[in-house]
Amino acid sequence: MWRLVLPLITLIAAIALSAAADRPLPRADFTFINRGDVTTLDVHQMSWMMDLRMARLLCEGLVRPNIFTREYTLEPAAAESLPEISPDGRTYTFHLRQNARWSNGEPVTARDYLFSWRRAMLPENSTDYTTLFWLMEGGREFFDLRTADLKAHAERAKSLSAVERHAAAQALWEKSCADFDRLLNLHAPDDHTLVFSLTRRVPYFLDLMSMPVFYPVYPPLVTAHDSVDPDSARVKTDPSWTKAGTFITNGPFRLSVWRFKRDMRLEANPHYWNLAALNVRTIAIPTVEDPNAAVMAFRTGAVDWVSDVNTGYRGELISQKEAYYADHRAEYAPLASQALDPIEIDRHLPPDPRATMHAYPAFGTYFYNFNCRPKLPDGRANPFADPKVRRAFAMSIDKQVLARDVRRSGEVATDVLIPPGSINGYRSPRGLSFDPAQGRALLAEAGYPDPAKFPAVEILFNKDSGHDLIAEFIARQWQSNLGVPVQLLTKEIKVFRDDLRSGTFMTSRAGWYGDYGDPTTFLEINRTADGNNDRGYSNPAYDALLDRAESERDAGARLELLHEAERMIVEDEVPLIPLFVQNNFYLFDAHRLSGISSHPRSEQQLFRVDVLGDGKGADKALALPPRKPMVNDNGRSP
Amino acid sequence: MTRLILTRLAQLPLVLLAVYTLTLALAWAIPGNPLENSERRPPPEVEAAMKAQYNLDSFASFYWSYLDSATGLRAARDHFSGRSDAERQRLADLHLAPPPRRVFDLGPSLQYRDQRVSEIIAGSLPVSAQLGVIAIILAILIGTPAGVLGGVRPGTWIDSLSLAIALIGISLPSFVTGTLLVLVFPVWLGLGKVGGWGSLSQMLLPALTLSLPFAAYIARLTRMGMVEAMSSDYVRTARAKGLPESAVVMRHALKNAALPVVSYLGPACAMAMTGSFVVERVFNVPGLGQHFVNAVQNKDLFLIIGVVLVFSTMLVLFNLVVDVLYRWIDPRIKV
Repeated sequence: MWRLVLPLITLIAAIALSAAADRPLPRADFTFINRGDVTTLDVHQMSWMMDLRMARLLCEGLVRPNIFTREYTLEPAAAESLPEISPDGRTYTFHLRQNARWSNGEPVTARDYLFSWRRAMLPENSTDYTTLFWLMEGGREFFDLRTADLKAHAERAKSLSAVERHAAAQALWEKSCADFDRLLNLHAPDDHTLVFSLTRRVPYFLDLMSMPVFYPVYPPLVTAHDSVDPDSARVKTDPSWTKAGTFITNGPFRLSVWRFKRDMRLEANPHYWNLAALNVRTIAIPTVEDPNAAVMAFRTGAVDWVSDVNTGYRGELISQKEAYYADHRAEYAPLASQALDPIEIDRHLPPDPRATMHAYPAFGTYFYNFNCRPKLPDGRANPFADPKVRRAFAMSIDKQVLARDVRRSGEVATDVLIPPGSINGYRSPRGLSFDPAQGRALLAEAGYPDPAKFPAVEILFNKDSGHDLIAEFIARQWQSNLGVPVQLLTKEIKVFRDDLRSGTFMTSRAGWYGDYGDPTTFLEINRTADGNNDRGYSNPAYDALLDRAESERDAGARLELLHEAERMIVEDEVPLIPLFVQNNFYLFDAHRLSGISSHPRSEQQLFRVDVLGDGKGADKALALPPRKPMVNDNGRSP
Repeated sequence: MTRLILTRLAQLPLVLLAVYTLTLALAWAIPGNPLENSERRPPPEVEAAMKAQYNLDSFASFYWSYLDSATGLRAARDHFSGRSDAERQRLADLHLAPPPRRVFDLGPSLQYRDQRVSEIIAGSLPVSAQLGVIAIILAILIGTPAGVLGGVRPGTWIDSLSLAIALIGISLPSFVTGTLLVLVFPVWLGLGKVGGWGSLSQMLLPALTLSLPFAAYIARLTRMGMVEAMSSDYVRTARAKGLPESAVVMRHALKNAALPVVSYLGPACAMAMTGSFVVERVFNVPGLGQHFVNAVQNKDLFLIIGVVLVFSTMLVLFNLVVDVLYRWIDPRIKV
């Protein structure tokens, strides 16, 4: 018998021992859930929201927007002041803060930026945002030259011995460094001055520079983890450089713990130049993947902010918030009529668990794509190649019903592509409104007097995140309002994306989030042959408008040209149907927490966070100033 | 015995090679670009460069380069060509600690760029192993008595009850039992914690959830063995000697009835340690199971291959351990 029991007892003892090892950390000043685990802390590799959020805590770029201004005014961050820009708009001179320090106490110098940007421009490090550097003079040439050199090396390496290969790869790296210095007009005349020039005037370049891909990395740390692969000559950074204990950053916080898929912990960077401005000293970020568990964690008081509420009952939470406003109508109405920041409104109303749900417009639009190519993938003529047909379909969806009854998440229906009010000084066009009678007339005009004979319309979508409900609603709208036959086609997400890319669809669900504060961040996706032009839309007149805007020197006239371009997209040509402005869904108590911004550009800079009434920091509630009235072409608020 | 162990260990690399080849072929066939993030798409030349970073441009180049680094060949080459020494010297000149040496490099994760597959596995396998082992212990503690009770008196109400409970245990999916347990213990009774990992109180509920199907299976196996053993000659002899019933059951019948359970424990351990995806999700446990599902969804090739190789290794090793245990428990058996 003991032969059976002995192994069991051994196992139990081992478990008890291993369980005794873990000890919880004390509660941090501020705890939030960052939607899944961070994919990377390498600022040059990021493109997910949760990663970018961490970048703004751990690192710092030259400039950043003030997210508590309606205009999203850019302010100097690691730079001492905004740069001097030459009259032709191409040369930028930055002066760095003398007191900016890395988290190990070393000064941040202009050469660190040179190093970092060279790294970001390497083909072997390329990511979604690599092309931003191609706006710099020589950036594209450097990328192409190194790409060609790498290819040549890989060919040649086959006939070399191991030692020769290593030497050749090393030599190529030195050549590329020299190429970089030669091709890029990018200099550091002294430790705190940085000068570079662009290929052309780019009015929004400063805005781009607030993106983490332009943040600096600590050169000695990266160099230590870099190695040159002798076969391909590519320089690869060993990923261990971003681990807690190793990672060195220049931002307000530094990484003290990162247990993958468990939690992350940050503490104030003692060398940060503006340390006194921080209102929290420690931040904890537990990994909670299950949407319901995230809500539970907030309800039990374990976390202060949930960055993405994604439970099945989100709609109910939003209705409860509406009920809360209804209960306090007398106080709410006057505050709302002053166009106050919704967070500020909540602070004026009594605390209530229902008030902790927040839904704010994001810098993104949910829309439907038309395939605009002349032929469908199966070779048939494409009915949607005709703008009239596209307009007819666009006018036959009641977006208000979609937003109110199908989505039930507080989103605002929209007829335009660029979220209204998100870009300072930009006026939205009117767009097409719901008019099924006009839609049927247009369809007849386009040669389909009998809609039942219209080729069966396929809607391509992926099933997750409620896309199926929207697709079903739109199918029913087109069937009942236009009388055309509609089929639903659902695919798994990766297949869905492949189909979009190859143009294997008739209509599809789609969405776009803007990257920077300029209309082109939304408009470029409809340019002929743009990498994100899934619609295959091509219109020389539209491209010409964007080109003219590019060379227009007067800011006002430029925005007018872009306004005309957007009008063309949403009123005449309609390669896509804007449906609603995406929302961000947060959980936090506005009475307790300050520093979360409700601005439609939806960037969060969590180093501004202050837990109110904890006796630490300023304990002063931040809010956006009241909204200025927005007007579109129609003269009414959109 | 030594021969058995050596043969099995010698077969392991071949098994792994076959598993690797098959897994990569299947994973490669999953549609979609593993490097694609959100809705954004870089220009073709950038995309080509992104793919080249990870040898994703062709099946053959990926196949061989992965083998090269995973088997340690690359590290060996670097070592003998003096490259790693030169590298160390360079870092020493910079006054920096070198990154850790990696002999068997399973590559980076494509989804979690800052993690290497070996780190992900090293971080999550112990958690899954703890969870799995506790679950198996619970399964034995629950399943064996239930099986014995039923097997000793087949056909009685105790037998029917234990069979019925076993049936429920096998049929109910863990997201139902898990949610029920959360509802009953922490929410209604205020016992134990929901979510997280570390303390025993956090481990108990997920382990219990995970153990139920195994417990049910063990109960069935034990009952079957007991029924057979109770009608055998040696039990009759034992009774004839005048031994008390408890000694007959515990010392003579159970020992033989337990053999099928022991052989089931091998694959059960491997399954409990890696197949806990749902339980991990419900209880927010940072284990290995989640990577099986997420890696496939993300088409994270390195991670898919990494976890499959780990699972295969565990399966082979556990079966080996079981075979050894088997002979230790019952010296009559020749393998």
